[in-house]
Amino acid sequence: MGCKCADKQDKLLTILSEYQGKSGGLIPVLQKVQNVYGYLSEDVMLKIADGLEIKPSVVYGVATFYTQFRFSPVGEHIIRACHGTACYVSGAENITQVMVDTLGVEPGGTTIDMKFTLDTVACLGCCGLAPVVMVDNDVYGRLNEARVEEILAPYW
Amino acid sequence: MVKVTIDTQEYMVDESGTILDAARSNGIDIPTLCHDEQLEPFGSCWLCVVEVEGERRPLVPACATKIREGMVITTKSELILNARRLCLELLLSDHYGDCLPPCQAACPAGVRVKDYIDLIRDGKYQEAVEVIKENNPLPAVCGRVCVRPCELACRRNLVDEPVAIDFLKRFVADLEMGDSLQSTVYSPQSMDGKRVALVGAGPASLSCAYYLAGMGYGCTIFEALPEAGGMLRYGIPEYRLPKDVLDKEIASICGHGVEIRCNTALGRDFSIDSLMNDGFEAVFVGIGAHGSYRLGVDNDGSDGVLSAVDFLRDMGLNKEIKLKGRVAVIGGGNSAIDAARTSLRLGADEVMLVYRRSRAEMPANEIEINEAEHEGIKYHFLTAPVRVIAENNRVQGIECIKMELGEPDASGRRAPVPVQGSEFTIDVETVIAAIGQFPETACLAGEQDVQLGRGKTIVVANNMAVGRAGVFAAGDAVSGASTAIEAIAGGKRAALAIDQYLRGEVSSEKLLKEFNVSKGSLDEVDRGEFEGIEKQARVKMPELEITERLKGFDEVELGLSQTDASLEADRCLKCGCNAVDKCYLRSYGIEYGVSLDKFKDGKVHHYLIDNSNPAILRDPNKCIRCGRCVRICLEIKGIGALGFVNRGFETTIEPTFGKPLAETGCDSCGKCAASCPTGALEFSQV
Amino acid sequence: MQKARIIVGLGSCGIASGGRKVYEQLQQGIASRGLDLTLEETGCIGMCYNEVLVDVVIAAGTTTYKQVTPEMADRILDEHIVEGRIIQEWTVTEEDEKCLNRQQRIVLRNCGKISPESIDEYIEQGGYRAIERVAKEMSPEMVIDEITRSGLRGRGGAGFPTGVKWGFANKSAGDKKYFICNADEGDPGAFMDRSVLEGDPHSVIEGMLIGGYAIGANHGYIYVRAEYPLAIKRLKIAIEQAKARGFIGQNIFESGFSFELEIKEGAGAFVCGEETALIASIEGSRGMPRLRPPFPAISGLYGKPTNINNVETLANIPWIIFNGAGKYASFGTEKSKGTKVFALAGKIQRGGLVEVPMGMSLREVIFDIGGGTSGKHEFKAVQLGGPSGGCIPSSLLDTPVDYDSISQTGAIMGSGGMVVMDNTTCMVDIARFFLNFTQNESCGKCTFCRIGTRRMLEILERIVAGKGVDGDIELLEELAENIRRTSLCGLGQTAPNPVLTTLKYFRDEYEAHIKQRRCSAKACKELISFAIIDERCKGCGLCIKVCPTGAITGEKKKLHVLDADKCVRCGQCVAKCRLEAIIRVDRW
Repeated sequence: MGCKCADKQDKLLTILSEYQGKSGGLIPVLQKVQNVYGYLSEDVMLKIADGLEIKPSVVYGVATFYTQFRFSPVGEHIIRACHGTACYVSGAENITQVMVDTLGVEPGGTTIDMKFTLDTVACLGCCGLAPVVMVDNDVYGRLNEARVEEILAPYW
Repeated sequence: MVKVTIDTQEYMVDESGTILDAARSNGIDIPTLCHDEQLEPFGSCWLCVVEVEGERRPLVPACATKIREGMVITTKSELILNARRLCLELLLSDHYGDCLPPCQAACPAGVRVKDYIDLIRDGKYQEAVEVIKENNPLPAVCGRVCVRPCELACRRNLVDEPVAIDFLKRFVADLEMGDSLQSTVYSPQSMDGKRVALVGAGPASLSCAYYLAGMGYGCTIFEALPEAGGMLRYGIPEYRLPKDVLDKEIASICGHGVEIRCNTALGRDFSIDSLMNDGFEAVFVGIGAHGSYRLGVDNDGSDGVLSAVDFLRDMGLNKEIKLKGRVAVIGGGNSAIDAARTSLRLGADEVMLVYRRSRAEMPANEIEINEAEHEGIKYHFLTAPVRVIAENNRVQGIECIKMELGEPDASGRRAPVPVQGSEFTIDVETVIAAIGQFPETACLAGEQDVQLGRGKTIVVANNMAVGRAGVFAAGDAVSGASTAIEAIAGGKRAALAIDQYLRGEVSSEKLLKEFNVSKGSLDEVDRGEFEGIEKQARVKMPELEITERLKGFDEVELGLSQTDASLEADRCLKCGCNAVDKCYLRSYGIEYGVSLDKFKDGKVHHYLIDNSNPAILRDPNKCIRCGRCVRICLEIKGIGALGFVNRGFETTIEPTFGKPLAETGCDSCGKCAASCPTGALEFSQV
Repeated sequence: MQKARIIVGLGSCGIASGGRKVYEQLQQGIASRGLDLTLEETGCIGMCYNEVLVDVVIAAGTTTYKQVTPEMADRILDEHIVEGRIIQEWTVTEEDEKCLNRQQRIVLRNCGKISPESIDEYIEQGGYRAIERVAKEMSPEMVIDEITRSGLRGRGGAGFPTGVKWGFANKSAGDKKYFICNADEGDPGAFMDRSVLEGDPHSVIEGMLIGGYAIGANHGYIYVRAEYPLAIKRLKIAIEQAKARGFIGQNIFESGFSFELEIKEGAGAFVCGEETALIASIEGSRGMPRLRPPFPAISGLYGKPTNINNVETLANIPWIIFNGAGKYASFGTEKSKGTKVFALAGKIQRGGLVEVPMGMSLREVIFDIGGGTSGKHEFKAVQLGGPSGGCIPSSLLDTPVDYDSISQTGAIMGSGGMVVMDNTTCMVDIARFFLNFTQNESCGKCTFCRIGTRRMLEILERIVAGKGVDGDIELLEELAENIRRTSLCGLGQTAPNPVLTTLKYFRDEYEAHIKQRRCSAKACKELISFAIIDERCKGCGLCIKVCPTGAITGEKKKLHVLDADKCVRCGQCVAKCRLEAIIRVDRW
């Protein structure tokens, strides 16, 4: 398999040129670049700072402010366990615990095989189906501890 | 210009400013931490809150609220003061640092240890002694006998061994004292000729008189015994504290204009009333704790049973004392060790020390315990006397019982419990009891309004005042038998209180313990901070050979050489905050009377200190996230070396990517350090 | 004759309940049977508890099937479409219908009815007629006057009159103005904005066009949470469609009014629901709120006059213009006009979205519409307003839902999250839950919010762990009052509300935790232990299987035994046991 670095680099430059000189471009650029790389490395953030003519400290400050941004590689699939109010009162913590046990990784971490990253999130807005877990862009609702294995199965 | 009302007073103020501007321009102080006049209002610290009539919100930030015609502003109210106090308490609850160096904080007298060690390192000996004497007028004495709480607290313990603070103090005090008996003769400025009488010439009175004389009061010390010095002379043996050193230091105090009258006893030759009648306007009582407890066992009054206090006093009075045969000293404090080592020098065949707890619980200094052992003292730990065996009222021996340690008692130490049937006998000819002392208060019998408390000690208020107006007390007479440095500290506190009294002021906060944020005890501090520090052995004090020692009473510790002193001074880690005198968090904390332990169980951030930049020291542990540095660096300098990172409680201010400051575009202009309201950003001290 | 239609509810809830599979199964079934009908998707109608919902529209009428699974698809096609016979046992019940009928749907007028990806269906319902009327017939002042007279107040939480707000922005001088839609629905427990964006995106776009016209803004942003991918997708489609029809762009309806619209994806920060933080975020900065004044109407995005409204507010706008302010004002109470959408969630039987006239009592919403609590446990409290709101106890269930009455309870209307709690929910723990949320979401600027909420959390943590001490309640109150008074933005000012309301209504629970180390809800793990009731245990072994620590032992068909030392109190056994033989008991 060939190296995709050059490919990613091209995408980065394209994104930067799209937003160059535009105000308010930093967050969309960070979002798009993260989509390319999966996370934001120091090197990439420096390039963004350079490309948008923003101080690196500002780029870093913005990136660390928002929960969406990551600074280490993520797994192939991202699990977002909702810990919103409705999910919380419906036992979200227990479900997360089962996932922690199943995957062997704490919230915020990534499995050694880089398959899954487990996160908890404030609210996915699917309160009617609490408790809810989102894997990538798919939402799974009305969960209980027993169903954890079932919903993760397609992603293994 | 617009008309506004601030604290019920009307003012005409510039309409373009804020409430803070309006108040400041009229000399009204509103505290703030995040505001910097070079910058636009930011409104992050919320310390500057005030009340504005008719405002939607009960409290508004003065720094960020534009002034308007007719505004009615209150800058001080219960609501405001409570909010400000809580604000400071919250900031301090996540402020990890030492305001004062731990050695200074641990010193009862608050001696500025780090500063004088700095001066010693730089060879500025005269200045070093001056720094010490700000809080302790007996440095040569203390340099020999101090129990050194400073060294116990020394952070260097976490690297290797504590800095030899006491040795350094002695070194510089000896050097400065030199041969001249009085370095400078001081002629006191008259405080309208006000005179203070001090009873007893021990360290408490000497200290009190020294500082009062420095303030211009006429001081006369009355001493019952033939010479001045109190327990320093009559309790501490010559081999630890040579009398000529004591004499010189007392002479130096006298040189400040203090008169000492010996052989003059309270209750016999004068009373407090008579002093007052003689024109003394205040009286300080520093009579020490010269009474001693008896053993409280059968035959404890037999010939050959002595008290350590009497025994050592007789030594001080140069009485001829002969000891032979075996001696048992009962007790575990410094007096016990002094009595034991003195006995050895007086020719006892064998000296043993009997103590009911174990070595670890001994209150005596560890160095003393070790030295005594070197000299040949035998220890009987976990042993208590049951009775003195006497024949014809003459000691023959002592029956003891073995003890074991049980549950902790009120003092927190594990209480010794006798082991049934473990009695045994030690043959001795002399028993010296050193099991506790108390003030001899018979001399106060005729005095009114002098209240005695536990252990016959004199009861004083926070400012060392006893019940009777104008009468103060400190030292062992108040605390019970304690240390020289405690007596010195108490004497100075009393001097300040007497000054206030004589000026007709009410006692002030000054007398309370100094405000100090601390990283905690050695167990509590973050070890990581000390990992990179290179080990360097503590200097050894040159000592007299054991055989030489036992021949007489020559001083055992010989003093450091200049080279050793410089090396040792270099071991100092320079703890404490460089910004202590300019820190607003601290000065407001003092002003608003904050509690430092309100949130003591809460999380406190610990960060590594960044000293990568030679000009600016960055200690994020002290950062209050006011953002002045971030804004100055970005908005004024256009560099942006620092930025806000993360959010919520985890918000920090860091150089880009959390790297050291030196690896950013920082040009070391120092604007951030100049603006920082705490010690988070400081100019490095070379 | 019109073709038969099958419409599958594919909002996030529908998809999460397996809607896509149902859709695919129907697609295959239609193809294999060669049926001539249209298969469509729609947004959420609000009956989340009944998802997946499938509407079958034939000449005879519309039938709604509930809780549809892929396995049910074939039978629906065969019996209903082919044979014309309704499968009665699968349709929504009368009860369900009744709940819908008690509602007054203005915001949700199209949700679950039209395809959100079809501008034509929106137009069929009268869509873009309001902006047309505005552009052709009304001056900005007339629009503002109409909205003001409708009594519409901001649905984002604070309840500021929308017309008045528009008036400020309209009067504010500036060469450029911005109109922002706040779709950063961050309150845990609220999802009405998501549903509206997923189910009826054009109504929000039209609302923005009208608002932009009214204040004189030519540029709009929709700031939407990145966590709502479906909403973003449908918004993008809708914007493209509206551009293609000329509703967005230059010289709209030849009125001379031009409007460009962009989506800004939020990057995950609750505080960006706060206007000034949202503006900072669009500008590409950390979402740290700024001092007000100046208000955004004077100096907002890039220093220009800016107006911000939330999704629900904007979805009301076209309806008001279309139907008139008077009609709108005929709903609701004197000071709170119109309707409000609530997201019913938590321990509720019929969870989902409901839209009711302002002034309806909480009891009606929760019990008559929502069907009361979901399990056998008794109702304890309802949480309104998310982290900025509070818990309202059963004694106050007759409180009418309007801004002022709700505020009087100590809670706030907020964006309309309504999380129902029964007596297995510990009120101290809920306060802890919210404080954990706010201290995480605080932007970190103001001292009281940054450190104070953290210290409150720590006190609550020790209370739920049975380590509370005398004075903790007072310390919480001191912190709460001061944080309220001394924070820059709404997040900090309202952060203590969950603690203050639970202290107000459930102080005894706090005291029991501190003084007796007892949690009456038996929810706090450190304060409970588990016990097996001998008479009920049949020795089935289910609990043994789920126990992660091997704390339960016993042979099949013999009484099982629980070792309290090994038990980690996870509660999985209780959930598993069919005989309710394992119970939570006080530990101390």
